[in-house]
Amino acid sequence: VKAWRYLETGANDAFFNMGLDEAILESVAGGLEPPTLRLYRWKPSAVSVGYFQGVRDEVDLGKCAELGIDVVRRLTGGGAVFHADEVTYSIVVPETHPLAAGGILDSYKAICAGVVAGFKILGIQAEFAPLNDIVAGGRKVSGNAQTRKRGCLLQHGTILLGVDLEAMFTVLQVPNEKLKGKLIEDVKARVSSVSAMLGHPVGYEEALPAFERGFAEVLGELGPGSIPGDDELRRARINARERFSSGAWTFKR
Amino acid sequence: VKGSYIGKPAGSKLLRLDLEWDGGLVVCASIRGDFFAHPEDGFDEAEAALAGVPVAELGAALERELEARGVTLFGLSPGDVGTAAAGIVASNNGVSA
Repeated sequence: VKAWRYLETGANDAFFNMGLDEAILESVAGGLEPPTLRLYRWKPSAVSVGYFQGVRDEVDLGKCAELGIDVVRRLTGGGAVFHADEVTYSIVVPETHPLAAGGILDSYKAICAGVVAGFKILGIQAEFAPLNDIVAGGRKVSGNAQTRKRGCLLQHGTILLGVDLEAMFTVLQVPNEKLKGKLIEDVKARVSSVSAMLGHPVGYEEALPAFERGFAEVLGELGPGSIPGDDELRRARINARERFSSGAWTFKR
Repeated sequence: VKGSYIGKPAGSKLLRLDLEWDGGLVVCASIRGDFFAHPEDGFDEAEAALAGVPVAELGAALERELEARGVTLFGLSPGDVGTAAAGIVASNNGVSA
């Protein structure tokens, strides 16, 4: 039995991306697949909101529609994220797995260690910042969120390769248009990215091997990247259609 | 009567509370923000169970309902919600529903 399954699923829309994370959770929970690491990206760009956020509170829905940006509610809590220039990961393990042991905070730290190791391979000294962030040079470079369902832990997170704050604050609601400039300056001081830290643009294809190796250092041998099976893909599409792209789910709060 | 709170209680994440009450009893409480709760649907149920409780006891009632469902909160406490509710009522910023 393989200790890990590693999936690299490339770029997909927000609804499929969240549907596949849920389908992987179902697969691992049902004993159909071993613990799974997935690396992926988003096309088109998207905004995801946390489980407990009001979508209208956080997102300029009109602007997203105008710009062709997907809006999706996650299974996990946490804040709104503009997914554009990034590597996204998800990890699913049974709650009996050592990575899930010791409670929520310990498991965040244990899983985020793979991301921290990836940053190190790229030459960036980063560290876990409880509860759910990773920072480098005092600035946030990765946000992470976790849920536990069906006896499994699902954690997904974003690894920022570049940050376009103008675009971000075009699609996210800002409390006061007059304060938008100051808000952007504040966030600029608190958020960074791989490209900003290294001083040159780093894309998905370039960053991917570093995070594959980083996770392998922490998780153990991952083996070559594979793609989900037909049944898992079918369930991902059903989850995308019936949950993640439905108004009932998106506007739940 | 309806009122809202948006703020960042000390040590917590952003909390948005929309509260509707009548005769001192909660009609509806909508608790939103970037906090975490495990399990999430237990939080949904606890929030729905707040209808009918005295507004003055909102925080204690939420704590009780979460505990009954084994829900753990991160980035928010029931006391934050209770304090926000008390602030809404005290500030008298409610408008007739």
